[in-house]
Amino acid sequence: MAFYKLLARYLAALGIIIAGAVVLHLVAQPRGLHITSAELAVESTVGYQSPPATLIRRAMPDDWTAVALPNAAIPQLALSQHADAEAPDTQVTWYRAVLPQPVSPADKGYLYIPRWKSDGTLAVYVNGELQYQSHANLQWNGSNRPLRIGFDVTEGAPPINAIVIRLQHLRGIGGALSSLWVGDFDQVGPAYMVRNLFQAELSYLTSAAFLASGVFSLLVWFRRRQERLYLLFFLMSAATFIRGLHNHLGLERLPFSDAWFGWLTVNSTMWMVAISHLFLITVLHVRASWITAVVGGATLVLGLATLPLFSAALDPTLTAPFAYAAAFVVCNLVGISSIRAAWRAQSMEGLVLAVWVLLTAYLGINDLMLQNNLISIEGYFILPFVQIALVFAFFHLVLAHYLGAIDAVENSNTLLAERLTAREAALLASHERLREIEQRELLLQERQRLTEDMHDGLGSSLIGALRMVERGRLDETELKQILQGCIDDLKLTIDSMEPVETDLLLLLGTLRFRLEPRLESTGIKLNWNVRDVPPVFWLDHRYALHILRVLQEAFTNIIKHADATEATVSTGVVAGDIVISVSDNGKGFDTAAPRAGRGLANQARRASAIRARLTVESGSEGTTLTLLLPIRQLAEDGVAG
Amino acid sequence: MATGSKPLKVTIVEDDASFRGSFVAAVEAAEDMLLHAAAENVAQAMALLGGPPSDILVVDLGLPDGSGIEVIRAAHSAWPDCGIMVSTTFADDRHVIPSIEAGAAGYLLKDSSQSRMADDIRTLHSGGSPISPRIARKILLRFRPVEAPAQPLLSPREQQALELITKGFSYDEIAELMGVTRNTVMTFVRRIYQKLEVSSKAEAIFEARSHGLL
Repeated sequence: MAFYKLLARYLAALGIIIAGAVVLHLVAQPRGLHITSAELAVESTVGYQSPPATLIRRAMPDDWTAVALPNAAIPQLALSQHADAEAPDTQVTWYRAVLPQPVSPADKGYLYIPRWKSDGTLAVYVNGELQYQSHANLQWNGSNRPLRIGFDVTEGAPPINAIVIRLQHLRGIGGALSSLWVGDFDQVGPAYMVRNLFQAELSYLTSAAFLASGVFSLLVWFRRRQERLYLLFFLMSAATFIRGLHNHLGLERLPFSDAWFGWLTVNSTMWMVAISHLFLITVLHVRASWITAVVGGATLVLGLATLPLFSAALDPTLTAPFAYAAAFVVCNLVGISSIRAAWRAQSMEGLVLAVWVLLTAYLGINDLMLQNNLISIEGYFILPFVQIALVFAFFHLVLAHYLGAIDAVENSNTLLAERLTAREAALLASHERLREIEQRELLLQERQRLTEDMHDGLGSSLIGALRMVERGRLDETELKQILQGCIDDLKLTIDSMEPVETDLLLLLGTLRFRLEPRLESTGIKLNWNVRDVPPVFWLDHRYALHILRVLQEAFTNIIKHADATEATVSTGVVAGDIVISVSDNGKGFDTAAPRAGRGLANQARRASAIRARLTVESGSEGTTLTLLLPIRQLAEDGVAG
Repeated sequence: MATGSKPLKVTIVEDDASFRGSFVAAVEAAEDMLLHAAAENVAQAMALLGGPPSDILVVDLGLPDGSGIEVIRAAHSAWPDCGIMVSTTFADDRHVIPSIEAGAAGYLLKDSSQSRMADDIRTLHSGGSPISPRIARKILLRFRPVEAPAQPLLSPREQQALELITKGFSYDEIAELMGVTRNTVMTFVRRIYQKLEVSSKAEAIFEARSHGLL
């Protein structure tokens, strides 16, 4: 499973890092003169005094007791505070170590102090002269940083034989000293660097890097407000950064008060727990519950109670142990509830994070004990490292979320493209089908048209000729006429299959081309009086054939019955209609006669099929057939045959 | 139209015995014409082309051993002075235009009367070519400048004549409308047919070039 593979990879990386750190630590063990015993003297004071430049035996306490280094007093937990903040109860703790043999400062030039604790000041004396003093705030004074003090090397300087350390701090809390090392740079330098790295620099570097990614996350959140995870990730990175400050700040005097610094760094622990909780319920899609209320409430109460705005507010140094205890309880609550939620949601990532949050609470016990001098003060605070891992867990989750979103976009793009292709194919297929149907429809129409036409024209003419031959009334001229008519019919049918492209005159020209030989042979003069007419967009095969047949009939009548010497075809436009007229100067005919009536009915039927109007006027002066074609026809009108 | 000089030598290539018969009869009935030869298929027609030229050659397209188009093309180069006509039932542009492209100068309608056939032959010999409105229309489309940019174009007069033909006007009417003689109109059509032939050849060359054959 992908998750376990990933977890194994993370754990392997973690193992390698820890192993590397341990190896580094072992390689960089300090060497040289190791001072593990000293004499201790304590003086009660009020307020803080500057240390003397030179130690004078008379001014020093009298009762010294031998102690082993590291040495630490168990702090007294007290929520009471000295009424006078300007002059609190303090004490000076003196450590005096006499070297087993004097060393030359030119030879062994460094004093290395892995850890010192003083919620106050530090001064280091060499051979009774002040060599080093702290220049920091009283409480947040960088005591987490190891000290490496270079001895002043002056001409004719005497060998060093005694080192005295003066700590002045609040009475009852603080004040502790690790063992001391004296050696040359090679002996104590790497040890100092490694310890400094682990105690201060690493926390600083990782929390800064984390904060940078948090800012990126914040920028993402600005654009995607509904994705709370990005905001929480930023808040977590900010809280972690603030929390990390107390690991590495303090060598120099801070630009703000001890009280605010303490408030920030102590409260940030609680903030981290609260944000972890929100982060987890977001990841696990769990609704806020009473746990959220408890976490929020505790965070708020602690924050307000320790706010250094009022003189009555408690000093964070004093309240820190209580704050940490509260954080421990809340962290347990968050951890356990999140583990349950993750288990229910079957989210392995969520489970790991929840377990880690819970673990943080318990690993924090080490730090609490170290802080309160309950274990060797030469140990390390673990939480900074735990926080680094926690940061990576958060980072992993947000990254997974981010990559998931990108994947989703890519997938949806692919899906969209696939859908589009499918749609296109479907559209193409339906288009193809439609075209097929259209084609079939067209063929059907064409077949219908030709069948009807043959039935009315060619078919009946041929049958007439056949009957005539059968009855033996073989009038050669008449038969010839019939057959000629059949051929003309056929020619017009073929012409009607050619596209005329809206050109009515072309259609008429074609008709003339077909009928001219017969007119000529009968001696009828044809006057071609056509005028240009607008394009007729509805002119298709069916319309064309109907027009041809109506006019053909008119010509046939002129040739057969009119006894005319002239015929005239003219075109024009009258009130939205194209007018085609065929007239002759023949004898005319009775339009009511049955024979003429049948031909007229046929013409009228064809005319109405194309929504044209037909009039035939006949008299002794001749006959005029007029066909009125609308220039525009509504497409939906359709055509009946 | 009989000139009184040497009679027109007319040759027919036609597989349908009935039409061949009536055509031969029409030729024999005309004093000024002489049947030069008659062939039934492409092979016989090709054999004839090796011999002395005829004045008029009438070719049917649907021959049993091949297309009359081959015969027209071969005759056009073998007998360059011979007037070639395609015989057709309908004078439809699908048959007539390829024939003109192959070198024919006109067509003969198969259902024409004998005298009409003789007239059409004489007209062709004297330089006039028949044309139908639909063929005119096809040629106009063919010579649209966009269709044939690198080919001989129709002159404005030729163009005008063709347009009038599509509207059904006769040669006489066109001559009157354009203020020229009937003969001039007929030679317009003959020239247009020649341009069509040249343009089809140019097109073939262009095609061959673009396909890398030349």
